[in-house]
Amino acid sequence: MCETCGCGESGEVKIHDRNHNHDHVHDHEHTHDHDHTHDHGHTHTHGHDSVLFTQTHSLAPKKVIGLNLDILSDNNSLASVNRRYFEKRNVLSLNLVSSPGSGKTTILEKTIKALISTQKIFVIEGDQQTVLDADRIEKSGAPAIQINTGSGCHLDARMVDSAIKKLELENDSILFIENVGNLVCPALFDLGEFKRVVVISVTEGEDKPLKYPYMFQSSHLCIINKSDLLPYVDFDKDKTMEYARSLNPNLEFILVSAKTGEGFDLWFEWLTKQTSALISSRKE
Amino acid sequence: MHEFSLAIEVINLAQREAQKNMAVSIQEITIEVGDLSGVEADAFESALELLVKDSILENSTINIVRTSGKGKCNACDIEFEMNQRMTTCPKCQCFPSKISGGEEFRVISLMVE
Repeated sequence: MCETCGCGESGEVKIHDRNHNHDHVHDHEHTHDHDHTHDHGHTHTHGHDSVLFTQTHSLAPKKVIGLNLDILSDNNSLASVNRRYFEKRNVLSLNLVSSPGSGKTTILEKTIKALISTQKIFVIEGDQQTVLDADRIEKSGAPAIQINTGSGCHLDARMVDSAIKKLELENDSILFIENVGNLVCPALFDLGEFKRVVVISVTEGEDKPLKYPYMFQSSHLCIINKSDLLPYVDFDKDKTMEYARSLNPNLEFILVSAKTGEGFDLWFEWLTKQTSALISSRKE
Repeated sequence: MHEFSLAIEVINLAQREAQKNMAVSIQEITIEVGDLSGVEADAFESALELLVKDSILENSTINIVRTSGKGKCNACDIEFEMNQRMTTCPKCQCFPSKISGGEEFRVISLMVE
C-alpha cells in the first residue's frame, strides 16, 4: 500500500457476496466464463518487439526492446471481454460516475422502485468502505454486489469481472455500475460499459465540466440532479451545458430531482432508447 | 491518485516483458506520458519511484517522455499546441474541434540485459 496517499494494491479490494462474505481480488483472475479474444475497444499500437544489440563495457550484452505498449491495455482488454459478455446476454451496462454526494444512489433507488416490476435490474456498487450502498439498493428491490476498493479510488475492469459472477446476471437486464465517488480517476478506466453516465448536482456549480474535462469527455449522458434546489442556489444550467459540449458535442443532458421525481420520465425514456441501441449494435 | 494504480501496471508490464525476453534485469525504461492522456506526469513519476522498491525496476533508470497534442480551432481553423486538455485557441480563445496526439500513455522501450 502507498505510504503517501494510501492508494491500494489489488490485494485489498473486497468483493462482497450478497450475504456480505467477501473474497479478495487477485491479479489475472478471470472468475467467469468469457470469450477470451482480446481485441481492444481502443485503438492503440501493440508492440512489435524490435531489438537492437549494444555491446558495452559490461560482459552481458544489453538490448533495447521496442514495445509501444499502452499501459492501460490490460484493463482495456478485460473491459472488452466484459463488454462482449454483456452484449452476448443483451445486458445494458451503464457506468455511473460523479463526485460523492451528487445523488447517484438515490437516483438508482428511485429508478429501481419504478422499473423493477417490468425490468430486470442488477447493480454493482463501488465504494472505498462499507456495504451501505449495496444494502440500500437491495432494499429497493434489485440484487446488488458491493465492491470495496480499500484505499483505491476507482473501479477497474478486473473488479467488475469478479463482481459479475457473484451477481448471476440474467439476459435482457440492465446493469448499473455505480463507480467510486470521484470525478478524476474513474475517467481513465473502461469497465466494459455500453454507456457512461456522469451525475452532477445543482449545488456543485456550473464549472464542473471545465474542472474535470476527462470525465465529461468520456461520458454519453450527464444527469443534473437536485433540480428541486434550483431556487436556492446559483446554478446556470445553460452554462454547464455549453462548457460540457465544448469538450464533448454529443453529450446529452437530463435535469432531474431524485427527491421529487422531476425529469425521471426523460431518464426512463433514455434508458429505453439505450436498450434499443444495444439491440441494434448487437446486430452489426 | 490513479497514478499509483498505473505505476503498478507499469511494474507488472515490465516484469512480463522482461520474462518474455528472458532478460535478467532492466537497465532503463522509457515511458511516454502524453499531456492529454489524463495522467499527471509528475505524480506518475513520483508514484513509480516510490513503488519500484523490491520490483524488477528497483535499479532501473526511468525516462519519462512528455508529448503535447495539437488542436484545431472550432472557430478559426488554425492549429495550435495543447499541453493540457483545456487549452484554447491562442487567436480567438475557442475550444478545439479536433485533437490529435498527446493522448498516449505507453511504455516505449526497455533496455535489458
